Amino acid sequence: MAKTLMIVDDSATMRKIIMRTVRMSGLQFDRTEEAGNGNEALEKLGANPVDIMLCDINMPEMNGTELVKKIREMDSCKNTKIVMVSTESSQELINGVIADGANGFITKPFTPEKFQEKLSPFMN
Amino acid sequence: MIDELCLNDALLAGAKEIFETMIFMDLEESTDPEQKMEEDTLLGSITFTGTLEGCLTICCSSSCAKTIALNMLGMDSTEEINGEDINDAIGEVTNLVMGSVKSRLADSVGNLEVSIPTVVRGRKLENSLGDGANKVLVKVNIEDEFAAELSLLYRENPEQHSN
Repeated sequence: MAKTLMIVDDSATMRKIIMRTVRMSGLQFDRTEEAGNGNEALEKLGANPVDIMLCDINMPEMNGTELVKKIREMDSCKNTKIVMVSTESSQELINGVIADGANGFITKPFTPEKFQEKLSPFMN
Repeated sequence: MIDELCLNDALLAGAKEIFETMIFMDLEESTDPEQKMEEDTLLGSITFTGTLEGCLTICCSSSCAKTIALNMLGMDSTEEINGEDINDAIGEVTNLVMGSVKSRLADSVGNLEVSIPTVVRGRKLENSLGDGANKVLVKVNIEDEFAAELSLLYRENPEQHSN
């Protein structure tokens, strides 16, 4: 079954690095989208929900944890799997964002193998 | 009281990890104490607060910054890249190095809250935290070709210590 992916990060450089690393992991998506901030992500998800979202935490205007809470209020995104991608690595923060509705966490720096490991369970 | 040598080691090890795993470039501490920077430089900066407060900076020449950005984006050295993308790449490197340093210092200083990175371009750029601040400066070589400087400007935060 075809899968769709959205990458949310305020850095265009990091969005490109994540996209390249996902490709290197061997995971294939039918459609990929990018958003540079939380509001852009919500707008795009409202129009076209995705299966998997990779989301930064430390972003201006709306941080990743706030974005997760808003997405979990959207009926159209109830099946979207959200995996946070961040330099933050404290267990307290990871537990908090998982409790808010995220489905996984990848710490920067990352490898293609890490994406394979964390995203494969959501590809079926 | 945090040991300056511990901060120096965390800064160097954090930067080496990021350059090796995310930028695919070799970074080594300079053996030349007189190493000088080129005049036209980019300065990436990110602030942090907690039991320590201050900022981490990465300063490199514009040609070094361009090479870093090309490597991060998987682009060929002959491809064109604009200044905005170079600034964004240096900001992201600064953010990544801060994340790596932060995790290395977690046992000794606890959690640090970090800001969004900023990047400025200019000549003879310097950061200051005013009187009473400490500074750790690490001069490095990137790919044996470019001189760059990593720094941590910081002061201990007694309010956080008493909490």
